[in-house]
Amino acid sequence: MWRLAFRQLTHDWIRSLLTALAISAAIAVILILRGFEQGLYAQSEAVVLDRGGQLIVAQAGVSNFLAVRSSLPQLTRERVEAIDGVSLAHPITGFWVIYGPEGNKFPLLLLVYDTLGGPPPLIEGRSIEDGHDVIIDIGLSKKFDLKPGDPLVISDFEFRVAGITNHSSALFSTFAFVSYDGMIDLFLESEIAPDISTFPLLSFLLVDLEPGADRAGVMQAIEDQVPDVDVFTPQQLAQNDVALGKELFGPIMGVLISLSYMIGLLVIGLIVYADVSVRRHDYGVMKALGFRLSHIVRGVMVQTMMLMVFAFPIGVSVASLVAIGIEWRAPVYMVDVLEPLGLVHVLSGVIVMMILGGLLPLRLIARTDPVIAFQVE
Amino acid sequence: MLRWIYKTLWLQKGPVLSSASGVAAAFVLVIALEAAFVGESNQIVGYIRHANADVWVMQKGVSNMHMATTFVWDWKVKRISELPGVKHATPILYVNTVVKAGGRNWFAYVIGLKPDGARAGPWAMTEGKPHPGAGQIVLPRVYADMAGIKIGDKAEIADKAFTIVGFSEQTFSMANSIAFVTFSDLEELLSISGTVSFILVDAQEGQDPRELAQRIEQQIDKVSAIPQERFIHNDFQIALLMGVEIVSFMTIIGSALAALIIAFTAYSQVARRRRELAIAKALGFKNQSLYLAIIMQTFIITGLALAMALLVSWVLLPAISAFVPQVTLAVTTASLIKMSLIALAVALLAALVPAHFVARVDPISSFKV
Repeated sequence: MWRLAFRQLTHDWIRSLLTALAISAAIAVILILRGFEQGLYAQSEAVVLDRGGQLIVAQAGVSNFLAVRSSLPQLTRERVEAIDGVSLAHPITGFWVIYGPEGNKFPLLLLVYDTLGGPPPLIEGRSIEDGHDVIIDIGLSKKFDLKPGDPLVISDFEFRVAGITNHSSALFSTFAFVSYDGMIDLFLESEIAPDISTFPLLSFLLVDLEPGADRAGVMQAIEDQVPDVDVFTPQQLAQNDVALGKELFGPIMGVLISLSYMIGLLVIGLIVYADVSVRRHDYGVMKALGFRLSHIVRGVMVQTMMLMVFAFPIGVSVASLVAIGIEWRAPVYMVDVLEPLGLVHVLSGVIVMMILGGLLPLRLIARTDPVIAFQVE
Repeated sequence: MLRWIYKTLWLQKGPVLSSASGVAAAFVLVIALEAAFVGESNQIVGYIRHANADVWVMQKGVSNMHMATTFVWDWKVKRISELPGVKHATPILYVNTVVKAGGRNWFAYVIGLKPDGARAGPWAMTEGKPHPGAGQIVLPRVYADMAGIKIGDKAEIADKAFTIVGFSEQTFSMANSIAFVTFSDLEELLSISGTVSFILVDAQEGQDPRELAQRIEQQIDKVSAIPQERFIHNDFQIALLMGVEIVSFMTIIGSALAALIIAFTAYSQVARRRRELAIAKALGFKNQSLYLAIIMQTFIITGLALAMALLVSWVLLPAISAFVPQVTLAVTTASLIKMSLIALAVALLAALVPAHFVARVDPISSFKV
């Protein structure tokens, strides 16, 4: 059975190669779309986890980090640091600005930090030294061809790109990091706001605990003793952002991924059907020789599975290459093709598609008359 | 030749149709992905489009609404309303944040309305009242469908609870739905006073909005004044540009998939008809004629697939939006024309492999059994 299926595949290798490539491309489409969805969630999660701290303090009622306005009173930092078990509370704030020339504008989250919460390790340039310095993400750098030393003008205020980092994007936009001095300079020297108090100067506190401090106990103490705040572990806040991302992108990604599975099913069904159709003469011979229908169908299934074994790794490789291409060309996106759970889902989906695709030509085989074995093709 | 192509395809109706279906599905996926971004971009400018101010005034340096932050001193509203050519100036406060209701969270534009600011409020209601009072909120009707919330239920923004008093139509968007509260509630929420976010300026009859925008920028310090159409264009572009690369990459891979499917089908057809091709060659048909036949075959399959894809896009995608209200898919003529041009290239590309096969067919094989 295995030998027959293998020889049928190798008999016309161009056809088998085209078949495998078509199945691989269908698998790659599914993987890329899933990877794109997973990447969106992974980015949302990383935004919080990359900031550091063992606890995060937010305005009461605010349970997300991204795309929400959290505003804490200035005294909150002092109050949090006074609690037993708290070593330091690092301030961080952020607000959206729009950067770029007319016709090519791009939203940018300006993340303002002091002693913690800054950019991930730089891939180019240096860290922030004064209020005019800004660290940008590679996504923004590529989109606008910005390099260390270049100006970055926001609301008529000129920052200078000091360094470039990566993995600082989410929700189709990127982050830029500035110091509190930079933010104050921006507010005072630019026309960004008529009144500095319109912007939250303190959005979150990243809390470091003293060695051996009980995290749950400190969380409770902050909630009890500091008014109008909510406290989260970074993981909790990250999960809230992921959940929000799923609420946001889940439906559309669900539609697109369902479409891609449908394509996969059609492609595999088509290939198996066309293959059986072409080999009806062979099946006629097999029937004339006494092979039973179940045996022939098993042969078709084995052949389909062999194709899948060959096509799946190619599909994963193609998807990985495309993902690398997307992330290289537009680092604002993350396409997480190799996420293990996603791979298992897609593999299971492909196996189901293969079985369904293999069953499609069942009627065609059943109707094949053994007499065609004696006809010249 | 045409008859031979027709007969060849007709005899293989099943594989040809399933091949065309596979290609059509690949085309539909590409159209759907672009439709998702266009649809969402349309929704994002929904508020601006329906508010329909002649000129939008905001903080200097800002030129759009989506994800923007803008604050303008409130005394400028009066100054603007007194300018020649201005019929009315309506201020709104605006923040982009998360609204919680029915146990679910949504990103939303929250618009703060003055008591006399009804013209900046919801334009179509399903239920309840359009203008919220203190502590009240008007939410998109889609929220009610998705979360089972009803009039009188509570919604939260940060730590402030609002009573739902109305559900509006055409205000839902995956990225930015629109919620309406009072101006003073939003001021309290943002801990600010004395500023507004945008000023919606209605021009007097006969007043050119572009001239009015210029006049506002000349006479009012530190503001940007943008006519309605330009403002819509700015927001639409910014939303669309956020997904442009992913759409391009998916177009490439979707097209490659389509090309492979067609190549596979065309190759299968010619491989089956090796003997016929050999006879044709023995009878004096030149390779060029056979290449042309193969190209026509791939064109026919691609044309069939394209027709199916356009039909499905026309019918299925609006239906998806109807059944999954969170998803807005908008198919544009430009997108369909682009897909047609891609299909043309796909058909040509797909003909390469079978053409290579045809070139290698030996006429002598027609005499072998």
